[in-house]
Amino acid sequence: MANLNLIDIITVLMMGTSFAVFGLRQYRHSILAYALQTLLLVIVFLLLHVKYGAHELLIWSATAFVMKVVVVPLFLFRLVKKLGLVVEDEPVGGFFISPVVALSFSLAVAMMFYKVFINFSLFQDTLPLFAASFIFMMGIFGFILRNSFIKQILSYCLFENGIHLSLALMAYNAHELVEVGILTDAIFAVLIMGILAKRFYATYGSLDTSKAVNLRG
Amino acid sequence: MDILVLILIVPFVLGIVMFFMPLHFKVLQNLHIVFSFAVSTLLLMAVAKVVNGNELFAFERFFFLDALGAIFLSLIAITGLLVNVYATTYMKWELEEGHVTLRQVKNYFALSFIFTWTMSLSVVCNNIAFMWAAIEATTLASVFLVAVKNDKKSTESGYKYIILCSIGLAFALYATILLFAAANGNIEGDAMLYTNLLANAEQLDTMALKLIFILALIGFGTKAGFAPTHTWLPDVHAEGPAPTSALLSGILLKCALLGLIRYYAVVANGVGLDFVQSVMIVSATLTLFVSAFFLIRQHNVKRMFAYHSVAHMGVIAFGLGVGGPIGIFAALFHCAAHSFTKALAFCSTGNIAKIYGTKDMTKMGGMIRIAPITTVLFGIAICSLVGVPGFAIFVSEFLIFKAAAIDGKYILMGIFALALAIIFIADFSHFFLASFGKVEGTVVHNGEMKLSENLPLIALAVLIVTFGVWQFESFTFLLDQSVKSILKQ
Repeated sequence: MANLNLIDIITVLMMGTSFAVFGLRQYRHSILAYALQTLLLVIVFLLLHVKYGAHELLIWSATAFVMKVVVVPLFLFRLVKKLGLVVEDEPVGGFFISPVVALSFSLAVAMMFYKVFINFSLFQDTLPLFAASFIFMMGIFGFILRNSFIKQILSYCLFENGIHLSLALMAYNAHELVEVGILTDAIFAVLIMGILAKRFYATYGSLDTSKAVNLRG
Repeated sequence: MDILVLILIVPFVLGIVMFFMPLHFKVLQNLHIVFSFAVSTLLLMAVAKVVNGNELFAFERFFFLDALGAIFLSLIAITGLLVNVYATTYMKWELEEGHVTLRQVKNYFALSFIFTWTMSLSVVCNNIAFMWAAIEATTLASVFLVAVKNDKKSTESGYKYIILCSIGLAFALYATILLFAAANGNIEGDAMLYTNLLANAEQLDTMALKLIFILALIGFGTKAGFAPTHTWLPDVHAEGPAPTSALLSGILLKCALLGLIRYYAVVANGVGLDFVQSVMIVSATLTLFVSAFFLIRQHNVKRMFAYHSVAHMGVIAFGLGVGGPIGIFAALFHCAAHSFTKALAFCSTGNIAKIYGTKDMTKMGGMIRIAPITTVLFGIAICSLVGVPGFAIFVSEFLIFKAAAIDGKYILMGIFALALAIIFIADFSHFFLASFGKVEGTVVHNGEMKLSENLPLIALAVLIVTFGVWQFESFTFLLDQSVKSILKQ
């Protein structure tokens, strides 16, 4: 029972950190919030392992810690430092409106999704399933509502965390290569997006993706 | 070693080898051609085994090759080979004109093998989550085949490509997780394996399957270029080098579609054909008319062909929407017909851009006098794209009409005819603009390309005409077997 409560508390904290990743203006703070969220994700994996005896999640927590708590945030910190960036560009609808819109719509979509997922999930933990959908949608809205390339990379990381949590709750016993494949894709995607962000900055003089309008029609 | 294992290793290894080759164009060019032949031979050997009635499995059924996969693997082998051979010519021109560096050419050649590897992987995955990972990997492997240069347009196309495809495919991953969760415990064996899911589709929850199919359609549909999430496609296909556009349009879109077809098969057998057909018809109609609308307005030859890719993905979706054995047969045939046609179309734009130094068709004209072979090749691509009888695409479009007529779906026939008519008019007006009359702009290269340079394009043209007038027994066998497996007959 104690474990159950702890898992719920940590998943709520994960939802809070996704709001921080989305809403914080300073890149360093956003990246830190992402690293914290992934650390919480690792802890959820460990607690689920303890609660259900799912030894697969022990390996998942180790790989997620190395790749997503250490490697990806370090890469993003380096990228931001190299480009000399501190604060993101003005997002769609401004700094106040966009987090509010993302939060409300993500909550609404998560309310619908988790009710379906709970019927088929291996682990019947309601709040973590809700949190997984919420974090995924916050990532999706990050792409739509934030113009900064770095924020869009972080949005990708967010929805990838949402998917990772869903995978742990609904399909932890799938073939081990599945997690390897999905995680490898995620890491390479972040690396490639990082290279493109550097190019973008070099050609456009900023990371404001709303300036990318040369190919319309 | 098993052939299925070989095709999972060799393209990747050759891609890595290419990265370490010396910066000497002749060496790179020859290696690229030799390696391409080697990869395609391997892929076709695997296809041949399936044609002989075998279904291949490897690593405890984690990977497999069935008739459906064999169709798409043969496209990777044939279209891939011819485009890769043409790529050596195209890159030589780009190098001579100073548009790219030798290092960029080497990276391009190496990445094209990694790209081929990811596409082959996506086709032979029996594990649906790994299939998703492979399809996502195709995006990652091809980003720098699109964004070859460091300029604004190239960077923008690369950005849009990776961002939009990654968002779209995330929904497909949710579909995958949900399908596994819905099947796990309810079916015998590994619930992640497509073969198990298809065999036990009737035991799955119908409401879950409906949601799964919608998510899969959003996900794989984004990557395949279905409207309204097609917006990345015109930018990426128009901006990348001609051989990249040919590979993306000719093969990659089909690999994403194969992912969707696998879900189509499972859901159709679990829920019933009516549901998947209705959803596909809505998506196909939207895709056809959106692309037709944008097609009329295009003057950039590559952008025009890019919208054609959207339109023809709509045609394939329409075939799946009309459904039944003939509709599905037509949709699968169209995958091959469109692959050859679009590869020729995009490769011919490489020639055209060399002649005029621009992709704007209003600044062309009189191409028939400057480069008659290129004009004929361009014309064959256009004729096939609009469905002129005697060319490959006519066969599948005719079969879609036939499938609709047999089921008495006359309204669908009318919708399909209207969309094709708009595309027909738009295409021929563009073709005449570029090919005949007087030259409107400047001619940079006044003359035809060498025969050796045009050879891959001629081979593609021969394939288009042959598939339009001839029925290949082995290919028809693969199509029939695929239809049977999708409908579980």
